[in-house]
Amino acid sequence: MPELRRDPIIGRWVIISTERAKRPDQFGSGLVEKEEFTGGEKCPFCEGNESMTPPEIYALRKPGSSPNGPGWEVRVIPSISPLLTIEGDLDRHGRGMYDIMSARGAHEIIVESPRHQRESELSQEQIVKSMNVVLDRIRDLERDTRIKYAMLFKNYGKAAGGGHIKHPRAQIIGTPVNLKRVKEELSGAKFYYDYRERCVFCDIMRQELAMQKRIIAESKYFIALAPFASRFPFETWILPKGHSCDFYKTDRGHVPDLASLIDLIFRKTRSVIGDFPYNLVLHAAPFRRDAGKKGYWETIERDYHWHFEILPILTRVAGFEWGSGFYINPLPPEDAARSVREARV
Amino acid sequence: MNELRRDPITGRWTIVFLDKIAGPGDFRVEPHDKKRDNCPFCWGSEALTPPEIAAHRKAGPPNSPGWTVRVVPNKFPALRIEGELDKEGIGIFDMMNGIGAHEVIVDTPEHFKDMADLTHAETEEVLWAYVARSLDLRRDSRFKYILIFKNYGKSAGASLEHPHSQLIALPIVPKRVLEEIDGASKYYEYKERCVFCDIVREEQEKKEGIIYEDDCFIAFCPYVSRFPYEVWVLPKKHSSDFTNTDRDRVRCLARALRDSLARIKKLLSDPSYNFIIHTSPINGHEREDYHWHIEIMPKLGKIAGFEWGSGFYINPVPPHIAAENLLKVKLG
Repeated sequence: MPELRRDPIIGRWVIISTERAKRPDQFGSGLVEKEEFTGGEKCPFCEGNESMTPPEIYALRKPGSSPNGPGWEVRVIPSISPLLTIEGDLDRHGRGMYDIMSARGAHEIIVESPRHQRESELSQEQIVKSMNVVLDRIRDLERDTRIKYAMLFKNYGKAAGGGHIKHPRAQIIGTPVNLKRVKEELSGAKFYYDYRERCVFCDIMRQELAMQKRIIAESKYFIALAPFASRFPFETWILPKGHSCDFYKTDRGHVPDLASLIDLIFRKTRSVIGDFPYNLVLHAAPFRRDAGKKGYWETIERDYHWHFEILPILTRVAGFEWGSGFYINPLPPEDAARSVREARV
Repeated sequence: MNELRRDPITGRWTIVFLDKIAGPGDFRVEPHDKKRDNCPFCWGSEALTPPEIAAHRKAGPPNSPGWTVRVVPNKFPALRIEGELDKEGIGIFDMMNGIGAHEVIVDTPEHFKDMADLTHAETEEVLWAYVARSLDLRRDSRFKYILIFKNYGKSAGASLEHPHSQLIALPIVPKRVLEEIDGASKYYEYKERCVFCDIVREEQEKKEGIIYEDDCFIAFCPYVSRFPYEVWVLPKKHSSDFTNTDRDRVRCLARALRDSLARIKKLLSDPSYNFIIHTSPINGHEREDYHWHIEIMPKLGKIAGFEWGSGFYINPVPPHIAAENLLKVKLG
């Protein structure tokens, strides 16, 4: 019998389909392996090709190297085709019944490695470095009062909108407005908190730890689990065990622990389904600059909990589900979690 | 410079490209490469599906060739029709058993056609099947919502090549529907006008987005399109429930929908697409604050991480340019 499950945060229902169920290993698509992997010489993100990008915003460099030249380990540049641009004023106006705003904001690319390599070849040490750079960048964007939210994400593989240049990178978009999906999640968490005075994410972790059905892996400070109402096969969330709503305030001492958990999750998942296309999205609280002012969201620091969502793109049903907000997942998250948990790497 | 536009119903923002606009040829459309191996939806293969629920036939008894539109239960249903609705909670998690109906409407016996290639009269029969099935299913008190949609092409999620539509009757109202209704009813509360009626008026004034209009229906590329070449089809007379569409209006709708699909197919080299009928939850009476409509979403790009996480869309084709290009298409 199929099952309808409700996400306890935003109330979205998902059909966990048993009729179309597949075994976890049947998702092994090797989708990304089939993609061509070429073009180091023409890649604007490779070391030595720095002149092909706009001037860098920041780089983690070896001593003695100079900006916009070789000798870096992680490099941050403005997007070559930015969705939002940083210069100019934010102009809001109405047009008939519609609201319009100029497309102001930040769009940065974090190049995670100087080498043209597959993401699966990134070392743990490299992940630590790039994560530290990401933390610095979000901290910096927080100082720009025009920016309300910094969205960190990765698109990997063609099916996930990864673009034709295969060079490991993440992106940050700083938006001048609060984002709808983020707001939805925040208000879901607040609604839960108002009633129980507990964080819904902390409650989810407690229950998952007690049930031991959907936990994938744990490290000292973080936990990886398949959410109860997973929308996609092998959907994975990574949460800090300690309550915190701001990713960018993460203790630098915890970064190696987080990097090793992320690395482990990916290696394990890849061993089950091959190199898979995915989107990774950071969910964190918006920047807060009006503490104490009227209308300030007093409980946000207690009711919201930052986390990463990893969304593998293995099925092609997204179009309809995207439009209807109604998801059909052919793999029960318990099965996904078990197969990844038990994978040996 | 790009522009951020806000949808007046749900409040979601879209980034619309105004300088680096993608041309119709810039989208890489995967060819469909249809093979017709053992197709369960072709004439003569009726035994490969569960027995039909309904059919429009020129000849022959049920479950034999001779039909032009055929409705069958989905062989691999996402939800099952038998049983009582059972709800339960496990700690903080809510769940329900998967009661519902999952039906397939086979649009035509012709394997290599799509709705875009059908005649107006043939399209009308398909749409009439949607209405007839909805009328029947809404009597079942376990169901709260009837979702009718079409996935065409692999990248839109179609698992079978033969042109078909699907109907899912659900024991819940999907979240995106609730959101839309909620947005529309807030607008109504404040202005005492239907937001969709206002959008239609606004489109009629601007004219630049419209690709089809007759006495009953209008089709246009909405000002806040999330996707390139997104098209909405709406009845001009206010109505909240698709199920209440009568035969005459179904005839008009067939024209509006078929012609819109035909323009998209010709201009963009037969892209995959989804369309979804947005209608009010089942409750029997018409409501003032909501307006049923069809949203057509050609699959011309991939939805990437940013859009997932933010609910913020990126559209590389301004809707007035999309409409202009669609209108240039000469229909046969």
